[in-house]
Amino acid sequence: MENIFTGIAAYLKGLLVGAPPWRQTLAMGLLYLLGVLAFIFLNAIYLIYLERKVSAYMQQRLGPNRLGPRGLLQSVADAVKLLGKEDIIPRGADKWVFIIAPVIIFIPAVMVYAVIPFGKGMIPVDLNIGVFYFLAVASTTTIAILMGGWGANNKYALLGSMRCVAQMVSYEIPLTFSILGVIMLAGSLQTSQIVAAQEKIWYILLQPVAFLIYFIAATAEVNRAPFDLVEGEQEIIAGPYTEYTGMRYALFYLSEYANLVSVSALAVTLFLGGWHGPWLPSWLWFLIKVYIMIFIFMWVRWTFPRIRIDHLLGFNWKVLLPLSLANILVTGVGIKIYQLLTLGRW
Amino acid sequence: MFGQGLLKGLSITWHFFFGKAITEQYPERRPNLPPASHGSFRLDREKCIACGLCASACPNHVITIESERDEQKKRRLTGYRVKFGQCLFCGLCVESCPQDALHWQPDFELACYRYEDTEHDLLAGPAAEVKKGA
Repeated sequence: MENIFTGIAAYLKGLLVGAPPWRQTLAMGLLYLLGVLAFIFLNAIYLIYLERKVSAYMQQRLGPNRLGPRGLLQSVADAVKLLGKEDIIPRGADKWVFIIAPVIIFIPAVMVYAVIPFGKGMIPVDLNIGVFYFLAVASTTTIAILMGGWGANNKYALLGSMRCVAQMVSYEIPLTFSILGVIMLAGSLQTSQIVAAQEKIWYILLQPVAFLIYFIAATAEVNRAPFDLVEGEQEIIAGPYTEYTGMRYALFYLSEYANLVSVSALAVTLFLGGWHGPWLPSWLWFLIKVYIMIFIFMWVRWTFPRIRIDHLLGFNWKVLLPLSLANILVTGVGIKIYQLLTLGRW
Repeated sequence: MFGQGLLKGLSITWHFFFGKAITEQYPERRPNLPPASHGSFRLDREKCIACGLCASACPNHVITIESERDEQKKRRLTGYRVKFGQCLFCGLCVESCPQDALHWQPDFELACYRYEDTEHDLLAGPAAEVKKGA
């Protein structure tokens, strides 16, 4: 069980022996991309169902339970419905910006998966600046949402996308600073090394404050309640997605869930020991931990009401940012004291 | 302490998550309604004296009473038609009845396909039963 995916990859690589090196690299890259896409689509389809079920149970309802066993086929029906919808481009829209925004938002959502260690030896591209790459690519999502909101020629869409820019750009700072503590402990930006450094002790135990900051900032980054001001259906309909229909809307939806999975996966990688765990295969441990994180995200979403935009930004600049800076200071001092105690020198 | 309310909220949703859903799966499971539910009406035709108080109490004038006099010049009910299409189910007719002949009945499934079917003759029995028989 442990080697099921690495085995498949090794077998396919074996088929390419003798081919020119560039072709091997290209073929393996495409294979990894295919694997990541399959992972994203399957997860998104399941997560839509899961979100509806979790929200239903938390509101003492039953949730979808008509289509398929326990309603499992509901999200398939939703996807088919979206496929059949009319593709509307509003009059006065900035046509090309409007059309390519959903495509552009999907690209970083897929790209961040390149550095996620899904299991032992199961990392598509083991970059030495993996975490930095993740943050840099993920931050470009803002542009796509702004494009969608601007292109739609709709005041609610523009309002939503402006909120998105304000929120995502400012929450990126505490997010990055919270990760810095982990990087100082691990001494590496490489995700595989960070996971390897957590073999004995998970970083959530050494960096609980950083984990909390990461969790809050990540919730804001993926625009989920209580920080879902970008969509804020009661105020601005659906924010940047207001004018989108059919498959374009589905792409936004898909990338939203892809982002949810990727921030959960990064949390698992940085704080919850990655794929480390007893008995079960490493990739299964990774999946279990990711789903625990996703459940917590959903739990928070269906518990708290949306907060006001000025409170949101005030909380970021006045609370999260100083706290994350203090966390870096304490971590640095702690590392030095630890070195003094164990090695007898700074 | 700071953030105590957040934790309280989380614990409430946590308990709801594992608690029982209150949703009733309606078509498969019938709701167990209390006898005074405003569903439809049942007329006790022995008690009714065809006085017409219910018809005049009705704000929408949906009740039409037909009666005739028998040999002793006593009023006898021959028809009691209710246009359920316009009925508010306010219950003023039930309250106004001096003989306690008109009652609530929990049958609420009064939907039908044709407009003419929305009118029922309560003399023939409760609305829901008449419809099932037809």
